[in-house]
Amino acid sequence: MVSDLVPWAVTALGGVAYGLLLFVVADGLALIVGVMNVMNLAHGASYLAGAYLACWLADGTLTGLAVAVLAGIAAAAIAGAGLSVLLKPLAGHTEQAAVTLGIGFIASWAFTRLTGGNTLSPPRPAILDGHLSFAGHGYPVYDLTFIVLAIPLAAGMYLIVRRSMAGIRLRAAVDDPLMAAAQGLSVARIRTIALATGTMLAVTAGVLGAPVIGPGPGVDSHVLTLSLIVVILGGAGTNIRALLTSALLVGMVENIGVATVPALASFSLFLIVIAVLVVRGHRQAVSAA
Amino acid sequence: MSTVTAITPDAINAARPPLLQRASANRWRRPRQGVAVAAAGLAVVLPAITGRYVVTLAATAIILALLAMSTQLLAVAALPSFGQTAFLAVGAYTAAHLADAGLTDGLLQLSGATLAAALAGAAVAPVVLRTRGTTFLMVTIMIQGLAAAVALHWTSVTGGDEGVDTPPVTLWPGHPLTEAAYQYWYALAVLAACGAGIGWLMRSRLVLVLRGHAGHEPRMAALGHHPTIGLGLGYTAAAAIAGAGGALLIVVNQHAGPADLGFGTAAAGFAAAALGTCLTGTPTMTGALTAAIAIIALRDATGSNGTGPLYLGLLCLTVPYLRPTVLRLHRHWARRSEPTA
Repeated sequence: MVSDLVPWAVTALGGVAYGLLLFVVADGLALIVGVMNVMNLAHGASYLAGAYLACWLADGTLTGLAVAVLAGIAAAAIAGAGLSVLLKPLAGHTEQAAVTLGIGFIASWAFTRLTGGNTLSPPRPAILDGHLSFAGHGYPVYDLTFIVLAIPLAAGMYLIVRRSMAGIRLRAAVDDPLMAAAQGLSVARIRTIALATGTMLAVTAGVLGAPVIGPGPGVDSHVLTLSLIVVILGGAGTNIRALLTSALLVGMVENIGVATVPALASFSLFLIVIAVLVVRGHRQAVSAA
Repeated sequence: MSTVTAITPDAINAARPPLLQRASANRWRRPRQGVAVAAAGLAVVLPAITGRYVVTLAATAIILALLAMSTQLLAVAALPSFGQTAFLAVGAYTAAHLADAGLTDGLLQLSGATLAAALAGAAVAPVVLRTRGTTFLMVTIMIQGLAAAVALHWTSVTGGDEGVDTPPVTLWPGHPLTEAAYQYWYALAVLAACGAGIGWLMRSRLVLVLRGHAGHEPRMAALGHHPTIGLGLGYTAAAAIAGAGGALLIVVNQHAGPADLGFGTAAAGFAAAALGTCLTGTPTMTGALTAAIAIIALRDATGSNGTGPLYLGLLCLTVPYLRPTVLRLHRHWARRSEPTA
């Protein structure tokens, strides 16, 4: 009986790892959408950049992985700040979305040129390159480590947003930018920081998550779509708990759904999003009445 | 019930009354008409002066133009949509199934595709129109994703990854459109007909209502306009336009498959509409048409050696800054030319 449940438990664990990876990417997107009110269509490209960076810099050691993470964070901070400068003169959402789409196109072209359009597989650090056995079912040590790393990351982000002064400023800029500015906060600076932080989260997720969702053509739009689903379900802004719950739900549906009802798995996420929209619409109608 | 949102710059652009622009527009009317007549003449004689490759690209540009116009109609209501490809797909697969059933008549396929896409749009509208602004954009990306997943996995209807091959379209029995030039002229005629219809629509009360909702939705609601009905009609009309594009996809490619209806096509359609808005300052159909042609020219013609995405990206990174820069320079020159006291 217990042995029957083990394969499901291993699949569910895969769902947790996948969900936590999506949480890190989607949290960055939620920050950008919430603070900047900009749909960053290049967010998937940021993940892809991180994943390729892992392929080029990680050499199968923990040091190599750490170097890739640090390089990714530095590059993402510069890229995020640069994007903030690019978006500043543009007032409309459409123009801003067009610019981010343009960056996505250029990134896609650059990655194809550099990799020949092949799907790459980054080396995992030797110390984490193995499988743990659960009643005869193997589970990658790397994915387990990712779960162990991502949980404190989520908790840390929750604490920063909810308890720190930086988080209070961020939430003020999300909730009411005009009032925040009237209180002497530099909303422009907060926006730049939000964009840089959001990009850093996506790139970091790419570096660490490359063995889970490997880099290749089309991965950018796939990751963007999945993180959008998380943001729509969890809400844009700084509600870390809702985002985490949504990301875990998406991760579970992607893993357990594929294992149980593969024909429905590809539609189920979109159907969940539509159902949530319908329910939210009814709630708004009731509250308005 | 729909959500009530703050007025955004997009909404201001979409709802900007044409009176303010009329004086400057009048000055440019005649040269613009001249350019339009020359462009139309060039479009008609294109197969006579160029080869098959360019003609096929021009037909592809017409399909993208319809997709962009569909997106632009929603932009008029300050609804930035990424998901019009879903209705292009509905139109394409409807036309493909009609062709499979032996109904190869082009106009019949066009009518069927347009109607099916309009019905799909009417069905989706109540759900999608619960959101506005950036959230609307995100939800329409979901719609695009759902359509792509359906196209890939509902193999009994869509043929899955392989897609559906169709026989050539006929305009009258026994005369299939197999020549690229005839396919292009047919597509051009459909674009002209759709353009006339859209032109009428843009002067209709419906578009006034869409502009009103874009400008101040609560006030429109207070005046008795139900947002879901008004915007829903606009959404349905936009879906129908994309559906017509889907029918043309079958004419040109004789094939409907996920590769033609995926994220790349959606991104190109969205970029064409967005760049069209950037070019003219407001969401106009002329802007969308011009941008669609520019995108195909840059991405497929000039960038056929793999540099297409680079050129398209540079276009997206350049055009949004053109208008603000020109306006800034114009203001600067106007200030300098003012007589000093």
